[in-house]
Amino acid sequence: MSATTPIQHGHSRTLFWIAVAVSVLMFAPMAWVLVLSFTDNEALSRGTEAAFTGPYTLKNYTDIAGNSGVFRWFVNSLIVGAGQTAGVLVLSSLAGYAFGRLEWPGRKVIFVIVLFGLAVPEQAVIIPRHQIFSTLDLHNTYIGLMLPGMSLPFGVFLMTQFFRAIPPEIDEAALLDNATRWRIFWKVLLPLTLPAQATLGIFTFLFAWNDYWWPLISATDKDMYTLTIGIASSQVNFAQTEGLGFLAAQAVFAALPVLIVYIIFQKHVVTAVSGGAVK
Amino acid sequence: MAAPHRQSRLSNALFAAPYLVVFIALLVVPLIWGIYLSLQKADLFGLYGFTGWTNYARVLNDALFWQSVRNTLLFVVVTVPILVGIGLFLGLALNARTGGAAFMRGVYFSSTVLSVTIVTLIWRFVFIPGDGLLSLAFQAMGWQPIGFLSTEGWSLFSVGVATVWWCIGLPMILILAALQQIPGDLYEAAALDNASRWRTFTRVTLPQIRGTLILVATIQIVMQFQLFGQAQLMTNGGPNGTSRPMVLYIYRAAFENWDVGQGAAASELLFLIILVAAMGQYWVTSRGPRT
Amino acid sequence: MSAAIDIRHLTKRFGALTVLDDISLQIEDGEFVVFLGPSGCGKSTLLRMIAGLEGVDEGEIALGDRRIDPLPPGERGVAMVFQSYALYPHMTVRQNMAFGLENVRTPKDEIERRTDAAAKILEIDHLLDRKPQMLSGGQRQRVAIGRAIVKEPKAFLFDEPLSNLDAALRGRTRLELAQLHQRLGATMIFVTHDQVEAMTLADRIVVMHDRRIEQIGTPMEVYQRPATKFVAGFVGSPAMSMLPVSGVTQGPSGARVTVDGVGDIDTAVPLPPGFAAKGASIGIRAEDTTPSDTGLPLTVDVIERLGDRTLLHGHLPDGSELVAQDTGRSTVTAGDTVRVAVDPHAVHLFDADGRAHHATGAD
Repeated sequence: MSATTPIQHGHSRTLFWIAVAVSVLMFAPMAWVLVLSFTDNEALSRGTEAAFTGPYTLKNYTDIAGNSGVFRWFVNSLIVGAGQTAGVLVLSSLAGYAFGRLEWPGRKVIFVIVLFGLAVPEQAVIIPRHQIFSTLDLHNTYIGLMLPGMSLPFGVFLMTQFFRAIPPEIDEAALLDNATRWRIFWKVLLPLTLPAQATLGIFTFLFAWNDYWWPLISATDKDMYTLTIGIASSQVNFAQTEGLGFLAAQAVFAALPVLIVYIIFQKHVVTAVSGGAVK
Repeated sequence: MAAPHRQSRLSNALFAAPYLVVFIALLVVPLIWGIYLSLQKADLFGLYGFTGWTNYARVLNDALFWQSVRNTLLFVVVTVPILVGIGLFLGLALNARTGGAAFMRGVYFSSTVLSVTIVTLIWRFVFIPGDGLLSLAFQAMGWQPIGFLSTEGWSLFSVGVATVWWCIGLPMILILAALQQIPGDLYEAAALDNASRWRTFTRVTLPQIRGTLILVATIQIVMQFQLFGQAQLMTNGGPNGTSRPMVLYIYRAAFENWDVGQGAAASELLFLIILVAAMGQYWVTSRGPRT
Repeated sequence: MSAAIDIRHLTKRFGALTVLDDISLQIEDGEFVVFLGPSGCGKSTLLRMIAGLEGVDEGEIALGDRRIDPLPPGERGVAMVFQSYALYPHMTVRQNMAFGLENVRTPKDEIERRTDAAAKILEIDHLLDRKPQMLSGGQRQRVAIGRAIVKEPKAFLFDEPLSNLDAALRGRTRLELAQLHQRLGATMIFVTHDQVEAMTLADRIVVMHDRRIEQIGTPMEVYQRPATKFVAGFVGSPAMSMLPVSGVTQGPSGARVTVDGVGDIDTAVPLPPGFAAKGASIGIRAEDTTPSDTGLPLTVDVIERLGDRTLLHGHLPDGSELVAQDTGRSTVTAGDTVRVAVDPHAVHLFDADGRAHHATGAD
């Protein structure tokens, strides 16, 4: 800012530096776990002061490689995350086109009902859902883990907004260009929603990766755990665990994928959470 | 006659059909069936007939239920204002087009993308007696160590700290987005009117983001009423149920004691409380004087 | 194959609101027709009905010897250029132009031939691999026209295509459109609210107002022999001045018109039989007035200097407003009262229903 722009729109340097100081509280716990994960387990068992003195090692991480469980959970999480994301993208795009672009009897009423779905808390449906999946024998399956996340209305809401924002002349031009309804959707409109697809995709993946309650009750077979549930099962016997260093390394290992996705796609993640709300 | 391409056609609904099938099967049906279940005697293996309000009566006569209600209310009443307040502070502090501000926004939002499992693991490494970061700090200062996770009062407090740390990103981002929508010429007009920084804040900024603040509070109320993973993983509701929230009570009933009917009844009660709280909050805040 | 357009008794309603009422119109093969009217007159709706983007409530539309109103837009043999251009943002210029041809499975080499030819005509051949957001407004406009040309339609439909261009570019594009029409010889319909565009481009202008066609005629007919009071007031700048008439008698060369508080004006308009003075008015264009020693006493309120001429905006003793014209070197100042003579052959007489009467021989 040069001296010739005196108005900073209410922004204050003091507040900024306070926020910087307070961010230590954000960093410190993460840094603590990171340091623990590189500290020798043996030394830690005598006292966590060892984190400040060492010896430091990579052994905790190489132990993960040797631990088939953690890897299996990691792959499970990838499969569930990818499957759920693909499902949400397909369903939301189609539904967003129908709600945002087409006319059909009952469209408005049904859209309002779907929006009401945004307000339904998970605990109001999880017990019956658990029973339905028991009846259909879907527990401890990938499909069973992916499906509930596909019923959430957030993606439909987001895609409907995006389809609505495309000028109607674009469809009309395509109609005059002899394009069929499907071709208009597939060739003309869908490519225009790619930014929204990216946003929704990343958001859904993070959501699926981090989901806790549903996999907790649906995936009871240790081989079907997602990483989130697997790490939770490791920390149940926190005191007599295989070692704090190993546990810390697992936490870092599980956090890394989401943090990397977040750092790369930060802009999309932020759009996803703030986009629908502020308009 | 409407334009042919804009005509209302049932076949157009086919595009929405796949989602609607999933929506109905996994959201609408469970929602209705949940109400039905709450009126049934039911366990893991099946239904044993209509029992009327029996399940509700059992829940409402359960001292543990009321304890969990008190815990949850206390938790919501304390964490929501803190989340909105810190969110507003961070929004104001980091609403600048500088690299530093962007970086700090990234830092404050980063915890939000972590799973509850990792958040609780991180905070247990901070809170555990003897080995935790805080414990070490207390020793260094020569203070009496506190069993944060196993002491009545402190356990719910610790869950709250982890929750605020985990959830602060969303309020901050929503408030930032609202702040960035305020037209710059409003501030220029205020400056030309000789408004002080504080007056600009209370007369320009706050009224402009009022709607978003209400929205943020509503979202947080709905979310914090559903406190579950943090409490289950950090304290498991203890000691003596003093940090057990309602969702954990439901989880115990339905998935540990397999009393599905009672769990369903408690679920419906929580749903009702959330609806009333969210609507009440909205009603109170949106009635205030428009400045 | 003929590309004449025949519109018969067309009616359009949006719910209870009628936006077009019993419209009939014949457009000849190769003609350039402009729909002119104020916003909300229904001109865009009429164009979109020909395109198939709006349904038809009553009446029919034929293109050549084929009735097209039941057909979907793509099968009517028309192409449209939208006000916002409506280019596909994610496709290159070439893909934008090829899309319609691909949809009807035109052979690849044929698509390429037509695209290249159209790009050459419009001088956008160096832009073929760019996407719309990398183009200027004028370039986008050309691409939109190119997308229409490659389809080799029987009729081109333009929906206010120049309104998003700046003034200089608009003038140039207007000229180029006229050239394009001469070159292609196709039927073209152009919708606008800008009378300059209508006057310069049209073979015939269709003036529309309030759900109906007011007049169909060449630009000169519409300007010099407006059919109604509305057309007279809408076409021409500055707008024609209207003075209320209190009495009409037979004068030496035509109707002698009395304007209260002003006096009598002799005109060359033959007195229509049974013409009633009640509600009638007389219309005078600024260019048909000259300063003189006799004539109407005009008190000047505002002077508008246009360089080659000067417009005097003022009022007559009865309070009615009149715009008169003086030379570019006019010395009149605001507040002066000047005498203004009126060319009796160029005035227009309107009856109470707004129907116009003109001097014979004026063309």
